[in-house]
Amino acid sequence: MDYAIQQTLNALSFGAEYALIALGLAIVFSIMGLVNFAHGEVVAFGGYSMVIVSTLLTNSPWILMAGVLIACVVASVALERVAFRTVRGADLTTGLLTAFGVSIILQNLFLLLGSPRPMAATQFIFLDKTLTFGSVRVSSLQIYETLATFVAIGILMTFLRKTTLGMAMRAASLDFEMVRLCGIRANRVIAGAFAISGLLAGLACIFIMARRGSVQPHMGFDPVLVAFVACVIGGFGSLPGAVLGGFLLGIAEVVVLVLLPQSAGGMAQAAVFTMVALVLIWRPDGILSPAREKGDKI
Amino acid sequence: MRLPLNQDQRKGLVGAALLSVIVLAIVGTYALWGESYQARILYATFVNLLVVVGLQVFTGNANITGFSHAAFMGIAAYAAAICVTPAAMKLISLPDAPWGLNAFDLSPIVSAMIALAITGVLGLLTGLIVVRLSGVGVTIVSIAILVIVHSIFLHRTDIFKGNQALFGIPKVFGLPHITGLVIIAIFAARLFRESAIGLQLRACADDEAGARSMGVDVYRVRLIAWVLGTMFFATAGIAYAFFLGTISARPFYFNFVFLTVAMLILGGLRSVSGAVFGTLLISIGLEVVRWLETGPTLAGLKLPQMLGLSGLLLGVVIVAVMAFLPNGIMGNREIEDLFRRKTKGD
Amino acid sequence: MLQTSSLKAFHGPIEAVHGIDISVAEGQCVTLLGPNGAGKTSTLSAITGTVRATGTIRLGGEDISRLPVEDRCRRGIAISPEGRRVFANLSVRDNLIMGGALQPDKAQLNREIEDWFTHFPVLGERHAQPAGTLSGGEQQMLAIARALLSKPRILLLDEPSLGLAPMIVAKIFEIVRDLKARGTTILLVEQNASAAIRVSDYVYVLNNGLISSHGAAANFGDGSDLMGELTGVHV
Repeated sequence: MDYAIQQTLNALSFGAEYALIALGLAIVFSIMGLVNFAHGEVVAFGGYSMVIVSTLLTNSPWILMAGVLIACVVASVALERVAFRTVRGADLTTGLLTAFGVSIILQNLFLLLGSPRPMAATQFIFLDKTLTFGSVRVSSLQIYETLATFVAIGILMTFLRKTTLGMAMRAASLDFEMVRLCGIRANRVIAGAFAISGLLAGLACIFIMARRGSVQPHMGFDPVLVAFVACVIGGFGSLPGAVLGGFLLGIAEVVVLVLLPQSAGGMAQAAVFTMVALVLIWRPDGILSPAREKGDKI
Repeated sequence: MRLPLNQDQRKGLVGAALLSVIVLAIVGTYALWGESYQARILYATFVNLLVVVGLQVFTGNANITGFSHAAFMGIAAYAAAICVTPAAMKLISLPDAPWGLNAFDLSPIVSAMIALAITGVLGLLTGLIVVRLSGVGVTIVSIAILVIVHSIFLHRTDIFKGNQALFGIPKVFGLPHITGLVIIAIFAARLFRESAIGLQLRACADDEAGARSMGVDVYRVRLIAWVLGTMFFATAGIAYAFFLGTISARPFYFNFVFLTVAMLILGGLRSVSGAVFGTLLISIGLEVVRWLETGPTLAGLKLPQMLGLSGLLLGVVIVAVMAFLPNGIMGNREIEDLFRRKTKGD
Repeated sequence: MLQTSSLKAFHGPIEAVHGIDISVAEGQCVTLLGPNGAGKTSTLSAITGTVRATGTIRLGGEDISRLPVEDRCRRGIAISPEGRRVFANLSVRDNLIMGGALQPDKAQLNREIEDWFTHFPVLGERHAQPAGTLSGGEQQMLAIARALLSKPRILLLDEPSLGLAPMIVAKIFEIVRDLKARGTTILLVEQNASAAIRVSDYVYVLNNGLISSHGAAANFGDGSDLMGELTGVHV
């Protein structure tokens, strides 16, 4: 029983982290058709911002958390300005390769300006305590992570439904040009999407840093790869799909870890990716793929 | 005697010959003035050239970006290496290998054939899935293939040794071999591009529905290109293993994928000449940057050691090409088009 | 109110409109007539800024031909586009909020939306439904209301009768007549020549990207001659 609860919480917290990052990818993709592989470097930048702020200013974890969120939002919006604006409206491959290019640039900048080795940033580790409820021992970090993710999703949904900018984002995912014809500035909608994406990355960064306690140039790549897969499973561009895909991956990973013998632990990733390939054969556009107009647009 | 080639293919032979002259000129320059350590760099460049020309076959003609080529290259490299390494050596390097993999050895030619066959079969199986997907689906599945293959390499240390080196592979290849392979590859890619299938594939890239309505079997032509592409990657992998004598899983992953994709898009993915030029340009550029990275003394000035500079440059090339030169240096042109006066409105 | 001079519109490398001059005076309803592919929609797209165009476009004397799409809307150009293009995933009310996104006073916007709901009760009944579930005629009303909520100085209407049943077409033209009576400046693109001429003050006939004839609507009679010219079917 305890084991089941622990594993469920494992699945939820893994899933929450994937869902947060996947949502960040999906919201940008739904609006401008860009698979933003540099999203992981935004997460890593959040980690480096901790190192910078704590060296220059303060070690207070609450200020650092705010710093991480701000850093990620700024980084995300800045990336759009500098790198992605030039390929706006270009085809998918162009955008994808640009994003990969940006990702490589940032990783190497971290390498050049920071260090190839992990740099310690342990201020958030206090979030991870072992809590005991009767006979059940769980990690507080996993609980925070799951709750924070649900709250973030709730706030995001409210934002998308109730505010003009949020509605414009939903409308833009269907017909961006018509949104502009309503007088709403394209730059504002896109900057908004990148800001939200950065905020979600910042949130994920806080939890990743609480678990790792150190920051390293390539740390963003693997999470974004998994989040990318989550988006694929859920249907690229679909926000509910990204959340669903994230949690499904979290569950799949835990199931694979539980079922596979200890010695095959390294195969978990292979198993998960095989499942992804199978999902794609079954439904080439993902499970919750958004309805797309297939006809010619005049 | 008439060659069974169409007019474009005959034009392609001229272009491929011109590119071969460039390749031979580089080798000649090395033979006359090069230093021995440069042989390794030249060999690596030619291996990359094989891969990039192979990328052009599918990614270039179909205009669908795949990222799995490093995986196929790795599969062929390991297959050839395991077949060709002497049994006595394998008892040391792979003592726990299953299925008697460490109990036999084969001649280099048979090993290469087996490696090509294994990669070809895997290429066909993955191809059957890949060609049915839409553009981004292909990219995703190709990434999945890359990750799956890489984690198998890493995990099955009894066969692949993971991140450790698999050593003791006979070094049967040298610069002449790879030069020959590169020239064959250039001709093959060019003839394929100009063949009926290549033309159909390029038509699908421009307008899939249109090509379909003209009777093009989109899946079939994509599958042919995909499998043909894996043959190029396999050849590159075998050449890699046969020259270095030791391989590990690390090179067959994302960094190599980005490097080769950057080479392809810099040159222009729609043209074989572009693939060749892109590879050569980036290879030269990287050598310069790698030298800078080590912190050399330049005109009496000691430069600091700058790890990551080469990666930075690669990223900048990708982003800059995508932003300012989306069709690459060559665009739709091939080398022989540079020598012709403008005849039609192209 | 709106003048274009030597306006050319392009789709990629193809020139779809070869330099036309049209002018719409304040309070007028002007119609662009023409067969399929004559360049009517391209002309409207050039005016809204969604296709590449050369030549000048003046709105109330100001040259807007270099402005991006959003700013042209902010200057007072609104469009009910071809195919309606309502935001199918947004509710009817949210579609209207998008139309009025530029209004700073949200309470005022809500009152105006309620006005539209009394004007088009069928939209009011479905205000919470996704717009994609509306019928073609309802979507057309929604598209017109959405365009008007940005308080435009000129309304561009692109084939509002396209694909609708005859009774609904009559209803749509009634709405157009009503808008005109309330002083809205309208540039209408239509293939239904006779109905369009009846609501218009002035008519331009477009053919192969050029204006082949123009004049006061009265000069075109009931439009039956034109229908023959436009469709090639002489009755």
